[in-house]
Amino acid sequence: MTWKANRLALRQGSIFPLCASAVAGVVIMTPILVVLWRSFTSGKLGFTVAINVDNYLRVFADKDIWPMLSNSVIYAGGSALLGTGLGGLLAWIVARTNTPGKALVELMPLYPLLMPPIMKNIAWILLLAPKSGILNGMLEQFLGITYPVFNAFSMAGMIWTFGIACVPLGYLFLLPVFLSFDPSLEESAYIAGSRPINTMLKITFPLAIPAFISAFVLNFLRALRSFETPVLQGTPGNIKVFVSRVYDSMALEFNTGLATAYSVVLVILSVLTLYFYVRATRFSERYATITGKGYRVRVIDIGPWKYVTFAAVSLYFLAGIAIPFVVLIVVSIIPYFDYDTFMSFPSHMALNNYRTVLRHASFLNGLRNSVLLSIVIAVITVLAGIVMAFTIHRTRAFGTKIFEFIGTLPLAFPPLVLSVGLVIIFVGTPLYNSLWALGLGLFVAYFPYAFRNASGAIVNIHKELDEAAWVHGAKWRHVFFKITLPILKPAVGGALFYIFIEAIRNVDVAVLLTAPGLEYGPVTLFEYFRVGQWAEAAAGGVIYLIILIVAVSVAKFAFKMKFSL
Amino acid sequence: MLTKGSLFTTLALSASVFLSSALAAEKAPSAVKEAVKSAPAAVKKPGGQQVKKETGSATATAKAAKAFAQVSAELYPKAKQEGNLVVYSVWDVEHLRVITEAFMKRYPGIKATYWQGRNPEIVTRALTEFQGGQASFDVVLSDNAPPVLRAAGAIMDYNTVQREVLYLHDPNMATVSLQIQALAFNTKKIKPADLPKSWEEVATPKYKGMVALDDPMRAGPLSSMLAGLKTQWKDDARFNNFIRNLKALGVPVHKSTSAMFRLVIAGEYAICMPALLHDVMEEMHKGTPVSYVKTVPPVVFPRQAAIYAKAPNPNAAKLFAEWMISDEGQRTTDSIGRETSRNDFKAKTSIESAYGKAMKPLPVTDQLFLEDPKTWLDKFVKPIWEG
Repeated sequence: MTWKANRLALRQGSIFPLCASAVAGVVIMTPILVVLWRSFTSGKLGFTVAINVDNYLRVFADKDIWPMLSNSVIYAGGSALLGTGLGGLLAWIVARTNTPGKALVELMPLYPLLMPPIMKNIAWILLLAPKSGILNGMLEQFLGITYPVFNAFSMAGMIWTFGIACVPLGYLFLLPVFLSFDPSLEESAYIAGSRPINTMLKITFPLAIPAFISAFVLNFLRALRSFETPVLQGTPGNIKVFVSRVYDSMALEFNTGLATAYSVVLVILSVLTLYFYVRATRFSERYATITGKGYRVRVIDIGPWKYVTFAAVSLYFLAGIAIPFVVLIVVSIIPYFDYDTFMSFPSHMALNNYRTVLRHASFLNGLRNSVLLSIVIAVITVLAGIVMAFTIHRTRAFGTKIFEFIGTLPLAFPPLVLSVGLVIIFVGTPLYNSLWALGLGLFVAYFPYAFRNASGAIVNIHKELDEAAWVHGAKWRHVFFKITLPILKPAVGGALFYIFIEAIRNVDVAVLLTAPGLEYGPVTLFEYFRVGQWAEAAAGGVIYLIILIVAVSVAKFAFKMKFSL
Repeated sequence: MLTKGSLFTTLALSASVFLSSALAAEKAPSAVKEAVKSAPAAVKKPGGQQVKKETGSATATAKAAKAFAQVSAELYPKAKQEGNLVVYSVWDVEHLRVITEAFMKRYPGIKATYWQGRNPEIVTRALTEFQGGQASFDVVLSDNAPPVLRAAGAIMDYNTVQREVLYLHDPNMATVSLQIQALAFNTKKIKPADLPKSWEEVATPKYKGMVALDDPMRAGPLSSMLAGLKTQWKDDARFNNFIRNLKALGVPVHKSTSAMFRLVIAGEYAICMPALLHDVMEEMHKGTPVSYVKTVPPVVFPRQAAIYAKAPNPNAAKLFAEWMISDEGQRTTDSIGRETSRNDFKAKTSIESAYGKAMKPLPVTDQLFLEDPKTWLDKFVKPIWEG
């Protein structure tokens, strides 16, 4: 870019999105810089003794680092591929086919998002455990198969559990793309004699590549730093992943510096992944499907295949939420879990666990705080994410690509490390021990989701729309509020929904930022999981899920609210 | 104009503003210097637990009651003036609610609040606040966190006046409860005759595939048991052989004790090495097919109410620690299913009621393990386990 381009950017009023992005960037970078600084200090129990690179020397001298990284990449890559691929397929089915039961089908891929990850882990362990798992038990009881066919404590088991949990994100990222397709691209193929399947494979899917990669990158990074699945399913299978080193540094040595130094390896991997993303989408015009021409999205009649696609969505619904949910319901009403008690649950039913949860000291207060905060944070984060994506892809100022890195960086840091940085920043300020600090923590943690979602969607909007406005002397606010934002509405809805759900169930970031007397729903409710009271945890999870499912369904059907469509 | 340089300058300037405040909060120079100076001294302090006899005498009980009445009368007016008490704890929120409500009922005018987290979270938060010179809380009620915080100089010495009746006494921190680890098993999966008779026997080939093992390389129940056994055996060859045999079992290790225990109940494994006694007792009470081996000595680890070095309400903190050890505090602790710390208190989960009077438990008293588990594990376990 040249001096002239920068002057033009200023004249168009791009200084505002630039400054807004810079502020968001500072908020994001501050806790990261604080923990990075700590990684260059050595000391004991948090006391800085010297500034050096000892932590990094330890990290790179760790002989287990390569096997662990290799396991991490297989696990994260497998989960991201399964989740994003399946999510993309479901998005295509919902957006572009005449699959029956549209109103229900639209929501089916989203419901699994409502179930917190640790609940899914527990449900799948109970389903797939080699000796005591329900599915292996059924195979033995009904088919006489004594060999454990399923194994929750294996790499495949880990990828299945986390991959299934990655589907909603893939779905939310790709749905707006399929919904905003210019049908002329496909029509040209049809006119040229292409069959629908060929058109789908050669035209439709390739155009969704930026959004697919964006979702894949996010799911990959989420899996890379995820802790519950590796601890609960990987450790018993002797599968060590890299992130456990980060947590060991915190749990065994209480050494934030070392934990951060280990996290830097994740940062390097993230940068490489981002580089791959930036390279893959560098000619963004190629993928622009929303242009200046008017059009209506065409729904393809897939004939009898529509029943197959309905079955596919239903199958995912079953695997993603229905089956784990039923397992949790049964576990919550039986005195203890083993295969025999589970299978004969009607004769063991009791509601004690529900009474315990509903009497929980801070259930209602915590729920109210978390609902309010999650709504506010979702709105602010999504708006900030769009502004940053707009700054990168639409303003002409030089150097804005740096935001691509900054906006995604928090994903590379395990939540506990990130929240340590936030505690260090806030301690001693009036913000400490307040909901504001928690809100900022959630903003930093979830910004990458809002940003990557907006970034993937903006790439799909052809620049000609903006350029038409620029040419007519529009300022950035006209372009942003009258062109970009309205077109991004589907993506905005999806991101709002996603971040709200993630924030309302967040424990990892929130735990260090809550305060004595300040209740936050997920922290108090999911403490049952932490202390191992699985039956009470299941009861709490069932109550929580019912509230969310009812809220989402009422919003969708009674108030016609659109989360993503 | 917006050049690459100016963009970076903007970012750098804003970052420096944020950072300077953040680092200022982190530095608190005098506090850090003082703490760094006192940290090594704190490590060298004679702070190890002294094992007391299993049952108390009537004289000791009377003496403790009198001492508590005196200290309570002395501390309460000052604590009331302070008006607040902030507890950081690893205990379940419901347990904390019961404990703090009982305390507030006994001592009106003191408002007790709590924050709950896991041990690494407690240590991280407390040390960050300590470094920042923050008078943010009064008491840490936990097992692993207090010795680590003491080693960092973040704990105020307090020697309880009721020490005569404590099973495990630490002259710097009040032991208000005990963590008792038992060898648990699934009654549907293994017959009583086939059970191991000692911790050592678990590490024999016949139990291969049956044992759920806590990860010995983390600061968890198995590593604390190893620390206890090492102290008791005073035999390095035997200790090393035990670890070698455990490894030879080739069984999966778990990083979550609670998840491991649930898998034993589910029937995935027959033996849980180890489980927390209060969890086992609670499940047995519900009719779950789980029990514990009564001939295997339980491992005993102190749970302390340690007073923060910069406690804003030190009198309330001392009063809370003393009240937890008092008869009323122990009854409240017992009512929530937690193990009590007095040797003269007949609790549901006391060693005496669970194992009988003759049982000699295995206390964890190794100072290095308590204050720096990583160094202890690297020195004594890692070379064999990972060798």
